[in-house]
Amino acid sequence: MSAHRSTKGRVSRRTVISGIAATTAASVATRAAHAAPGDGGGLGTAEAPVSIRMAANDAFAKLWQTVLVPEFNKKFPHIKVTIDGLPYSEHLTKSLLDLTGQSPAYDIILNDDPWTPQLAQTGALLDLKKDCAAWTDADFDWNDFYPAPLAASEWKGVQYGVPLRSNMLLMFYNRTHYKKAGLPEPTPKLTWAEFMAQAPKLVQDVKGEGKVNAWAVGTYFARDQLTPTIWQAILNSNGGKLLDQNGKPLFNSPAGVASLQTFVDLLKYAPPGAKSYVFNEELTAFRQGQIATMFMWGSVFRGTAIDPASTTLKPDEVGVQVMPVGSAGPGTHRGIWSGEISRKSQFPRASWALLQWMASKEGERFSAANVGSFPARRSTIAGTPDPAWLTPVFATLNQAYEVAGKGEMWRPRLAKSDAVQQVLADEVARATAGELSPADALKNAAARIEKLRL
Amino acid sequence: MTRLADTASRWGFMTPAFLILLAVLAYPIAYTIEISFAELDLGTFLPSAWVGWDNYELVLTDERFWHSMKVTTVYLAFAMPLQMVLGFAIAFLINAEWRGRGAVRALFLIPMVVAPVVAGGLWRMMLDPLWGITNYLLGLIGIGPFDWFGDSVLGMVTIILIDTWRWTPFVTLIATAGLLSLPRDVFEAAEIDGANWWVMLHRITLPLLVPIIAAAFVVRWLGAVKMFDIVLASTLGGPGRATNVINLFIYQEAFRGLKFAESAAMSVVVLIITMVLTGIFLRGTRYLEQRY
Repeated sequence: MSAHRSTKGRVSRRTVISGIAATTAASVATRAAHAAPGDGGGLGTAEAPVSIRMAANDAFAKLWQTVLVPEFNKKFPHIKVTIDGLPYSEHLTKSLLDLTGQSPAYDIILNDDPWTPQLAQTGALLDLKKDCAAWTDADFDWNDFYPAPLAASEWKGVQYGVPLRSNMLLMFYNRTHYKKAGLPEPTPKLTWAEFMAQAPKLVQDVKGEGKVNAWAVGTYFARDQLTPTIWQAILNSNGGKLLDQNGKPLFNSPAGVASLQTFVDLLKYAPPGAKSYVFNEELTAFRQGQIATMFMWGSVFRGTAIDPASTTLKPDEVGVQVMPVGSAGPGTHRGIWSGEISRKSQFPRASWALLQWMASKEGERFSAANVGSFPARRSTIAGTPDPAWLTPVFATLNQAYEVAGKGEMWRPRLAKSDAVQQVLADEVARATAGELSPADALKNAAARIEKLRL
Repeated sequence: MTRLADTASRWGFMTPAFLILLAVLAYPIAYTIEISFAELDLGTFLPSAWVGWDNYELVLTDERFWHSMKVTTVYLAFAMPLQMVLGFAIAFLINAEWRGRGAVRALFLIPMVVAPVVAGGLWRMMLDPLWGITNYLLGLIGIGPFDWFGDSVLGMVTIILIDTWRWTPFVTLIATAGLLSLPRDVFEAAEIDGANWWVMLHRITLPLLVPIIAAAFVVRWLGAVKMFDIVLASTLGGPGRATNVINLFIYQEAFRGLKFAESAAMSVVVLIITMVLTGIFLRGTRYLEQRY
């Protein structure tokens, strides 16, 4: 697409906005250098507390508000924190609109894994290592983070965020189903070939009803942006990649087609209606003992294995490990929520105080124990988890972080990453629905991504 | 002078409403049209470069856009007649004297007031092949099981079913009001002349109701072309792209793909097509009103 005419008529408006942005940036820089002592150096005082607002995902915003904020306030009593929950489908757009608005409502934006480039390109985020350096505690150890989760909020060499809620795609399995089918319990060495060979036996009668009432697998199959992550995990485990460094598709290859075929073949061993599965459906099926395995985000472990209010399974029935092994190694997929600060925040120091606390060793331990957020620090993962049920989860996370870092198992990190993901969602859905063969679906997807001019 | 004061006072009363309409209706439409001819800078959400008809060219040559239009047409072609026929048929039943009629009328309003996202979620549960009550009940009479959301044809059937469940009561309400407003003397005269129920329906009721039917059709059409939320809450446009109606397609291109300018062009194209078709329907309505 080329510009046919000049943008003369819009110069004044853009100039004004650029001027405002520059003034705001300068004001932030000034605040950074000379935080007013009257407001506690940006951290508020008893007489003049400061208020900051965070945009978080509505699935856990309320829990953070009621559990994390009071704990944070024990250390920073004069920072009033409000955490708003945004629906996932509107989160990126609302964040973009807010960050680029003249009077943003949010000081802190919680950003999903692929979104940092899209928000960072607006110039509306603070560089945490540079802009917040003066306010960073001496014991805040950046090197303690696993590289994979920390890299989720890095773009073009700038660290825009810190991991606050780390997640990885893992394989959950039901030990009772494996035992009933006469199959050995899965190990992290289980290959895709072995998994597919075992799958028919996992479609079985586990209740003695004389008919099939349990199936081998459930995962994202519907037309959703997260569905291609399962195929991508298979592709990555076979050594394949989505895009090259210039944004050119690499997935339209024999390995890509074979991986997509494996993903489509999973449907043969999935419950009726699995084509419409997104997050809730496979989770419910697994928790009700209707599927033997599910490829799902690790954060659901507590509600799946531990909490009797949300699962019918017993803790010792549920196993968790990285996804099966392909030709290059095991698979997984990264999903990190990172906290990032608006450049136009009135209270960048208070905002950084909150993020720093949440991402600190102390904050991570508290979050893991009380709100179920997974840590991203080596020291937390290596420590003794409290409660004890986290022990196998932490061991799996350790392997998953290393695997993800090695195989770059994450969604495209581009200013147009959601556009790429939507193309993949469309075409993978056409393959799972049987509208197109895996080869044709990937050919279409590659052609469409080429047109995006990444 | 009096006339001038009268005009001034009229405009004075109208100005607030006019300004509000301008802000909430005209500005968004003008902004949509503006960015449909431009590239959008996501840093400022302002047009950054004028691109002429490029966005329209991209949209009109995009097979996916036309596929979504086709899906929308299929949905409208089945949902609209179904809702009109059912709505008026139910109105005839409700109009007759029978015990419990008031309660049924009240119950009929429920689907209309249920939020579309809730309706989509409810139907998703009821139609679930594993846990849903629909397959269970159909199984009792030896039908099914059906994979309502996994089959392309059944996916569309599901959308039409949910939409019909939600909006038939609306047509019924209009039809009931229309039936109550029909002149009684005409029916009494026909009865005296020996006309039976069928003749009265065919020769009197339906011709007298034609303007009402036409008006209900236009109102329902304007609602149906906006179909979006039920699809989002139930099928996400799938399986494959079987239920990817145009508004969902535009939403996904804009808010997931961040292609706001192209999506604006799509919206303008859809707006024009809708306006043209609505104009045709309105002319048809006027013609039928004059004829009957």
